[in-house]
Amino acid sequence: MPPIEEDPTGPVPSTPDPPRSADTPLPLSGLRVIDVGTFLAGPYAASILGEFGAEVLKVEYPIGGDPMRRFGTPTKRDDASLAWLSEARNRKSVTLDLRRPKGVELFTKLIAKSDVLVENFRPGTMESWGLGWDVLSQANPGLVMLRVSGYGQTGPYRRRTAFAHISHGFGGLSYLAGFPGETPVVPGIAPLGDYISSLYGVIGVLIALRHKEETGSGQVVDIGIYEAVFRQLDEMATVYGLFGKVREREGAGSFVAVPHGHFRTKDGHWVAIACTNDKMFERFAEAMGRPELASTSLYGEQRKRLAASKEVIAIVTEWAATLDCEALLELCIAKQVPVGKLNSIADIFADEHFKARGNLFEMEEEGLGQVVMPGVVPSLSETPGRITNLGPRLGNATYEVMRELLELTAAEITALRQQRII
Amino acid sequence: MTDAPTNTLPLAGIRVIDVATVIAGPYCATILGEFGAEVLKVEHPLGGDTCRNFGTPSGTGDSLVWISEGRNKKSVTLDLRRPEGVRLFKELVAQSDVVVENFRPGTLEKWGLGWEVLREVNPGLVMLRISGYGQNGPYKDRPGFARVAHAVGGLTYLAGMPKGTPVTAGSTTLGDYFTGLYGCVGVLLALRHKERTGRGQYIDAALYESVFRCTDELAPAYAMYGTVEERHGPHMKSGCPYGHFPTKDGKWVAIACTTDKLFARLAEAMGRPELASHSLYGEKKTRLENRQDVNEIVRDWCGSLPRDEILARCTANGAPVGPLNSIADIFGDRQFHARRNLVAIDDADRGETYIVPNVIPRLSKTPGRIAHLGPRLGQHTDEVLQDLLGLSDQELNELRTQRVI
Repeated sequence: MPPIEEDPTGPVPSTPDPPRSADTPLPLSGLRVIDVGTFLAGPYAASILGEFGAEVLKVEYPIGGDPMRRFGTPTKRDDASLAWLSEARNRKSVTLDLRRPKGVELFTKLIAKSDVLVENFRPGTMESWGLGWDVLSQANPGLVMLRVSGYGQTGPYRRRTAFAHISHGFGGLSYLAGFPGETPVVPGIAPLGDYISSLYGVIGVLIALRHKEETGSGQVVDIGIYEAVFRQLDEMATVYGLFGKVREREGAGSFVAVPHGHFRTKDGHWVAIACTNDKMFERFAEAMGRPELASTSLYGEQRKRLAASKEVIAIVTEWAATLDCEALLELCIAKQVPVGKLNSIADIFADEHFKARGNLFEMEEEGLGQVVMPGVVPSLSETPGRITNLGPRLGNATYEVMRELLELTAAEITALRQQRII
Repeated sequence: MTDAPTNTLPLAGIRVIDVATVIAGPYCATILGEFGAEVLKVEHPLGGDTCRNFGTPSGTGDSLVWISEGRNKKSVTLDLRRPEGVRLFKELVAQSDVVVENFRPGTLEKWGLGWEVLREVNPGLVMLRISGYGQNGPYKDRPGFARVAHAVGGLTYLAGMPKGTPVTAGSTTLGDYFTGLYGCVGVLLALRHKERTGRGQYIDAALYESVFRCTDELAPAYAMYGTVEERHGPHMKSGCPYGHFPTKDGKWVAIACTTDKLFARLAEAMGRPELASHSLYGEKKTRLENRQDVNEIVRDWCGSLPRDEILARCTANGAPVGPLNSIADIFGDRQFHARRNLVAIDDADRGETYIVPNVIPRLSKTPGRIAHLGPRLGQHTDEVLQDLLGLSDQELNELRTQRVI
């Protein structure tokens, strides 16, 4: 949250650096990552590592591969849903049956030649195949192993089935989404927790790689999706610990400031307005053409606005309903009031700022035409990330990896294929 | 884990200047500090980081969120609006590895502390710049807060009952945390590049972008099919039953049957295995077509039992279910305790023990740590300016009289 006391009309920011020359190596070039996870929690960490230069080998079950290939909105290609195309970016696909001894043997060899392993099976699964940390760290003492699961590798619930949806509930987020006393709703995006846990995963992997490069020794990064969700909830735990106060659902508002919520405009759109302090409310009152609202006798102080939040919200609601969305935004922006449209995806595609920042990345995919997806975040000035390919076809690099990395003969590869090990 | 943790943390020796405010930038510095970096929190001498006044006060002058998220930091006061403050800040930057800021774009430039200046002072510098809309683009000068970023990034539009008022997606500071995480990823990548090439760089992170990056197939589905995703209330459209259901004792559970196998397990747990037969709702396609009926059956069952009984039956059958935990539930939960997700830290200075969320991610060999909670404003000013910049007592006194520190 940037501060608000600064002069908004300050000088122009620095000019961005000239684009990096093509031969500047990316920060992770030379690293090999094995992603044996499914869906998003964990694999998204491998996506980020790939965006910044790592080689990512997606190891998949020979029949059907990662179920994410068929999850969500399908495309003309039966092995690639839209989520797969977007989120499996920058990978090479290698098939391998880890339930078979030969598959385990090849996988161990692959690990010996890699730097990072990402997995998200239910805790105990890899161990049951003979691929636990003790085995893998013997094959590669410098290995960094990212393990993402619903509840983490330890604790009484570790073996329970969980998805992000369950983890949002367990981690305390879903309880807070919705109107007071009413049905709690999904906090916007179904796999939010998958993304968050993966971000912690990348951080853990990058920190562990540093340690490995200094000492030669690898380690395990262990993340429960629920704890990644829980870690986002600012003061909630500390407030309960000290005062016993249970945070409840707050609808469209906030307990810290008023007005701080969502309002419907005349043309049926919604806007978010966030007046976190008195100065901002003063500017907002001016934007509404009612500067007197910010007087000390009325609602000039946060304390008074919180106490009279119903009245304040009613005033803003009424005002918002008299204006079209664009007109309201313009009035607020002119007064530097924090405001934004509740963008649908259609709004986002039409937005000039998204365009200017290159947030929508487009790539041609054979047989499917243009696929549009979110671009790389974060944006680095000297070594920006890149997207080289969309979610690959199942096993598109199996031969290459078996032949070149594991040095198998063509005859051996054929035999493995016949036995459906690859 | 079998390995014993080591004493040296991976980021030991890295110095971070956190001149950011509230949560977005500071949370990045918090994580770096948890894993061993020295974090100098540079604050305005009057009042300091606005985070100290954000949310619930502790009764000791600082907010609880500051006390928790200011962990491991050293507080140094410095007025960057004054030439003497600018000079000292540059000296600090010259001896540091990372600067984290989240002022409105242009603000540091106005004070003579833009990227061009700082990279000159320290060519290996990694600078994390967080703002509502990023350092370029038509909206760059607009004030941005997480609530606005949730709206602009497409998250809020999707939270709420169908056609009803969109609600806060659980927490108003989510976008701050997301961006702190992306920022931390960027800093660690940039440090790696710097250590190999000697060259620093800046990371340009925008709150709305972090939110938008987590929107799954929203963009590709609109581009390919023109699908505009709408609010779905407590239910997800990609499975059934896949949502929130009220229990007999007035609580809520989340159920997520994304596959036929998981639905069969739920049907078992409900004592109605026949529901998972082919002629009934055994196939996902049938369940999606008869979503209302299936949800009705599950709702009736959930409404007939207390929450803990539902959890016990589902867990015994491996059906994907979980409670919608309030913070009171979380404090009583065995998994949170077994994983030590809550940690009580005594703050001798404030004479109080605070319970705060523990460090994640959890690393087996080099686990992070919380050495102390958020410091008092300016607690480490003298120490840092003396040790690092070699200022004398007299110089410190003068700076203090002039309110530069």
